[in-house]
Amino acid sequence: MVTEMQAARLRTFTERIGREFVIGVEDFGHGALLLAESLFWILLGRWWQQPVRLRAMVREMMEIGVMAIPVLSILAFANGAMMAMQGIYTLREFGAESQVISGIATSVTREFGVLIASIVVAGRSGSAIAARIGTMQMAQEIDALRVMGVAPVRYLVSPILVASLLMMPTLTILSNLMAILGGGVISIMELHISLGTYFDRVLSVLEPGDLWQGLSKSLVFGVLITLIATGNGFNASGGAEGLGRATTRSVVLCISAIVVADMMFTFFLII
Amino acid sequence: MAFPVEEKHGFLVVLLHGDVDLSKSPAARKVILNCLKKRRHVMVDLAAVDYIDSSGVASLVEGFQYARSNDLEFALVGVSEAAMNVLRLARLDQVFRIHASLDELPDGGD
Amino acid sequence: MMSAQPNHSRDSVIEVSNLVTYYGRHKVLDDVSLDVASGEIMVIMGGSGSGKSTLLRYLLGLHRADSGVVRLFGRDINTLNSREWMGLRRRMGVAFQGGALFNSMTVGENVRMPLREHTRLDENTMRIMSRMKLEVVNLAGFEHLMPSQLSGGMLKRAALARALVMDPALLFFDEPSAGLDPVVAADLDNLILRIRDAMRVSIVVVTHELESAFKIADRITVLDQGRILMTGTVDEVRNSDIARVRNLLSRTCDEQLVDTDDYLQRLTGGTD
Repeated sequence: MVTEMQAARLRTFTERIGREFVIGVEDFGHGALLLAESLFWILLGRWWQQPVRLRAMVREMMEIGVMAIPVLSILAFANGAMMAMQGIYTLREFGAESQVISGIATSVTREFGVLIASIVVAGRSGSAIAARIGTMQMAQEIDALRVMGVAPVRYLVSPILVASLLMMPTLTILSNLMAILGGGVISIMELHISLGTYFDRVLSVLEPGDLWQGLSKSLVFGVLITLIATGNGFNASGGAEGLGRATTRSVVLCISAIVVADMMFTFFLII
Repeated sequence: MAFPVEEKHGFLVVLLHGDVDLSKSPAARKVILNCLKKRRHVMVDLAAVDYIDSSGVASLVEGFQYARSNDLEFALVGVSEAAMNVLRLARLDQVFRIHASLDELPDGGD
Repeated sequence: MMSAQPNHSRDSVIEVSNLVTYYGRHKVLDDVSLDVASGEIMVIMGGSGSGKSTLLRYLLGLHRADSGVVRLFGRDINTLNSREWMGLRRRMGVAFQGGALFNSMTVGENVRMPLREHTRLDENTMRIMSRMKLEVVNLAGFEHLMPSQLSGGMLKRAALARALVMDPALLFFDEPSAGLDPVVAADLDNLILRIRDAMRVSIVVVTHELESAFKIADRITVLDQGRILMTGTVDEVRNSDIARVRNLLSRTCDEQLVDTDDYLQRLTGGTD
C-alpha cells in the first residue's frame, strides 16, 4: 500500500514538473510569436494601414526611459561607489589598490552598468506594463480593440518594443557614466588622485569592445523585458488577485531572465 | 465625385446625391464650406440622397456652425424620412432650418 | 445536416449553424444554430453559465469555432483574411458589459477612437460626429471626463456611443441592464429601440434580464446549458410550453429548480 501511495505521489510530482515544463515551453513560444508580431507591425504596419503611432512610442519612451533616470542615477552611482570601496579594500592587501580603476571601468561597462539599468527598468516598467495590460485584459479593453479592428499587439506591444530598444542603450550609457562617477568619488578620496586623472585612467583602460558588450546586451534585455511584461499582462486573469500575481510574476521573470541571459552572454563573450 | 452647386432664390444650392457616407462626406463638406466662404447663403438639397451617415450629418453641422458665426443663412431642403430619422436621433431636427422644398422659399434676403 | 440550417432566403446579417465550442474538455456550446435578420433586435437570453457570453465571443470572431459555421453579412468568418475581417469589423459595433472604455483616454477620445483608426476624416468632423453620438446617448458635455469618473450606467452609454460612431450595420450589446437600477435600465432599453428605428441597425443583445428582453426583442433565443431551448417572438417565448423555458421565465421569483438525480450525481459522483 505504501509503495503504491509513494508511486502515486511520485507520479503527481513528475506530472507537475511535466506541466510546468510544458507551460515554460508554451511561454517561450508565445514570447517568440509576440516578438514576431510586434516586429511585423513596426516594419509593415503602415503598409497594412495599422501604423505604430509615434505618439504612443514617445509616451512609452518617457515612461520606460526618462522617468527611470533619477532612480537609475542613484543606484548606479551607489553601485560604482561600493565597487570602488570593496575593490580598494581587497586590493590594498596586495598593495595594488590603484588597479581598482581599471577593474571598475571594465566591469561597469561590460556588466554592471547594463545590469543595473535593466533591473531598474524591469522593476519599474516590468510590473507597470503587466499591470496596465492585465487591467485592460480583464476590463475587456483588449477585446474592444480587437472588435474595432485594431491589433492589440500593434497598439500595445510594438510601441513598448521600440521604446525599450531605444531607451535601454541610452539608459545603459547613463548607468555606465554614473557608476564610473561613483567609483571616481571614492577613488579620489581613498587614492588621493584628481577626478581628471581618474577619468584619464578610465579612458585609457576602456576599449570600444567593452562598451559594445554592455550595449548589445541592453538591446536583448530590452526585448526580454518587453515580451515578458506584455505577455504576462495578456495572460492575466482572475480579478485583482490575478492581476497582482501577473505583475509579481512579470517582475520576477524579467529579472531572472536578465540575470540568466547575462550569465550566458558573459560565458560566450569571455570564454 | 463632385457635388453640383446651383444658384436659386439668392442661395447657393448644394445638391447632394447618392450615399453620403464616410468616403464621400469629406467632398460634401468641402463644397459646402467653399460656398459659405464666398459669403453666400447656402441651401443643401438632400432630395436625391439615398443614405446619409453621421459623417455626412457632421459636415452639415459644421456648415451650419460656420454660417451662423458669419451671419449667413444655412438651410436644408428635401430631407427624406430616413435622413430625418438620423437627424431626429441626435435632436438635430430642432436645430437645422429645414424646408420641404425649394419652391416654397422666400427669396433669401440680404 | 441541411435541415438544421437556418433559412437562407431571408436577408440575414448573422447566420450560425451547428456551432460547437469547448473550453478545455468542457463543451460550452452544443449545436447552436441561429440567424439574425437585417434590422431586427435579437435577444440572446439565458442565466449565468448558459453559454450566452461565450456565444457572443464567437459571434464577434474573438475565437475560432471547434465545429460549425458563423457567417456575418453572409461571409464565413473562418475564411476571411485579416483585411476582409477589418472591412467587416468597420460595419460592426460592440458595447461591452462594463463599457471596456480605454482608461487612459477621455470619453470623447474613446468615442473618436474607431474614426481615428479607420478613417481619414477631418479632425473637426470627427469631433462633431463623436459629440453627436454622445448627444444620442444623453452624455452631452461629458466628453472631457475620464471613464473612471463615470457611473455604471454612463459607462454603458459611453460604450454605446463608441459602438455607434461608425454607423454600424450590426450592433452587439452585452448585458445592457446588468447592474443598473430599473429606471436607468428602462432608459437604456428605450434608447436601444430608438437607435434601431433611426439607424436601421440590426442589434444583438445578450442579457439575463427578462423584463428588458421582453421589452426590446423582436425575437428571443433562449440558451440553457449551451443549447438553444427555443427561438421565437416575445409572445412565443412567453407562451412556450417547454418545461425548461418555463422554469427560466419563473426563475425571477422561484428558487432554481433542482433535478434530484442530476444533483445527487454531482455531489456523490465518481472522481473526475
